[in-house]
Amino acid sequence: MKEKIRIYLQPIPVRIWHWINAFGIITLIVTGTQIRFPETVQILGSYRNAIHVHNVAGVIVSVSFSFWFFYYKMVKHSLDRLYIPNEEDLKHGIVRQLMFYCFWYFLGRPSPFHATPEEKFNPMQKSAYLAVMFVLMPLVGLTGILLMNVTPLRVLILAWGGLKVIDGLHFLLACSLCAFLFTHVYLATLGATPMAYIKPMLTGWEELPKHDDHHGPSEDDALAPPGYRPVRHYPEYCGGPRHGGGGHLPG
Amino acid sequence: MKKERVNFITLPIVIMALAAFAGLCAAGENAAGYSYGDSAARNEACLVCHADAAKVKPAFFVDRARYAHTTHANISCPTCHGGSAVTHPAAGAAKADCRACHQAESEEYASGIHAGKTGCAGCHNPHKVKTPVEISGEEINKICSGCHNGFEMTAKHSEWLPQADLHLRMLPCITCHTASPDYYLSLYVVKGKDGSRFGRPELATYDDLKRLAGGKDVVSLIDTNGDRTISIDELRAFNKDASHRFLRLQGMMTPEVASHKFEILDDRRNCTFCHASGTPHMQKSYLSLPQAGGTFQRIAVQRGPVLDVVYSTPDFYLMGSTKSSRMNVVGLAIICGGLIMPVGHGTLRFLTRKNRKEEEEP
Repeated sequence: MKEKIRIYLQPIPVRIWHWINAFGIITLIVTGTQIRFPETVQILGSYRNAIHVHNVAGVIVSVSFSFWFFYYKMVKHSLDRLYIPNEEDLKHGIVRQLMFYCFWYFLGRPSPFHATPEEKFNPMQKSAYLAVMFVLMPLVGLTGILLMNVTPLRVLILAWGGLKVIDGLHFLLACSLCAFLFTHVYLATLGATPMAYIKPMLTGWEELPKHDDHHGPSEDDALAPPGYRPVRHYPEYCGGPRHGGGGHLPG
Repeated sequence: MKKERVNFITLPIVIMALAAFAGLCAAGENAAGYSYGDSAARNEACLVCHADAAKVKPAFFVDRARYAHTTHANISCPTCHGGSAVTHPAAGAAKADCRACHQAESEEYASGIHAGKTGCAGCHNPHKVKTPVEISGEEINKICSGCHNGFEMTAKHSEWLPQADLHLRMLPCITCHTASPDYYLSLYVVKGKDGSRFGRPELATYDDLKRLAGGKDVVSLIDTNGDRTISIDELRAFNKDASHRFLRLQGMMTPEVASHKFEILDDRRNCTFCHASGTPHMQKSYLSLPQAGGTFQRIAVQRGPVLDVVYSTPDFYLMGSTKSSRMNVVGLAIICGGLIMPVGHGTLRFLTRKNRKEEEEP
């Protein structure tokens, strides 16, 4: 039996936020579909039920989003580092990750990135989450709040171009989030086993096989001090072996 | 003997039947086109005083212009109030009994939820009353708000109706509080208050439209080909015309029959009665344009999805009903884009699964 190391990747507040978001967004997609196509979709029964559930789920997801922003920005002070791609990500990381997904994964090579508490997302994840969390989510939330309060916020609605524009924007943003959801769930199954990436979001802990070579993080990696950079430069991708867990970059 | 008796009985019956037929014809004509003699002259005798605010109390004042537009003006004052006695005004005049002509409405009203709360005059001023085709939805709600406080009604409707304030602002109360099975869409022109884009929409006046029409008939603003029927394209062209940016069309769902019972039918509590595309209640419509005398003229509009035209205005959106099919296609394309990874990558993943097994088990 292979020896494993465990990394505490997802603290409780993040896990609570994630699952509230997940169930909230699925509810919003289902009820939103009924609201837009009431002639064909009647999952929630009456139209009024669909509206009420959609509104409640929308408020919950908006509050959850605010909580997420507050937690990472004010409590952990890691929002920018986690979600904004750095120079290295832009220069090499995104292309490397893209190459992995498009080619190297099929050839059986390991991922060039491994998540740590300090660097949770690979460069492509960072870019996608930047768009989702800083553009799509706030905009879909804001347009939703406007559509929920048409009379009191009428002037704002008109300033944005009117109800037709707000409704269209809300709908297209929601479709984009739905598209992201499919991709997100699929990519979550691309770990060593289909549940490898999903488990940490349930238990908080990620289990990794302990490698003696450079193919994965060593036990030291898990105990690395703040500022530690993840194992992201595998020799397959950088053209030469590195020591001590595949090339930590100084923080 | 027998023959004589038959004639004796038959003749008066024939005379009575002819008289009854003549009476029915007169009733059929109703007040709209029928005159009880020179009603203008008879009215004038009363209006000499009653149209002069200085001579009568406010309750007895009659606006001459408004009254002239009513159907009641055709039947003249004495028909309802009796002949003026020599002792008038000291002895007063007979109080009009609406039931004399409006029997069916009176009976319907008496069986409804408002019975005993107020009489006909509580809602209708008989000296200003207009037919439903001559009145805008906004004016209809003013009648109700005489007793029903707007804030209280909004709070009460909010208990079950999402965005009650919006519903109450955009619809006449009788849209739901009616027994009418059918509806039409009443389209009218609104403008932002004080000419502002952000101003609360209010009815465009006859003068506004006359000015815009450059002295021509206001109908020509929309009915550009002059065939006295408004096509959906003509409505769309009016809404898109940049020369009157702050004027736009608004639609109001109006019951075909003005019932006086005010009960709420169960299907009206079902949101999809309105909030669904292609509902049969939204295909028929009329355009109401203001006239010089403060009334409205009603012009037939081509049957079809008129709300799609109104949808282009910034203030209108009927959830579930008005939606752009092009936008639906774009949305579907975006969602399909999101399926590229699971479907495309997933297929290749399945086909290359051996490579990863070899890697895992060297």
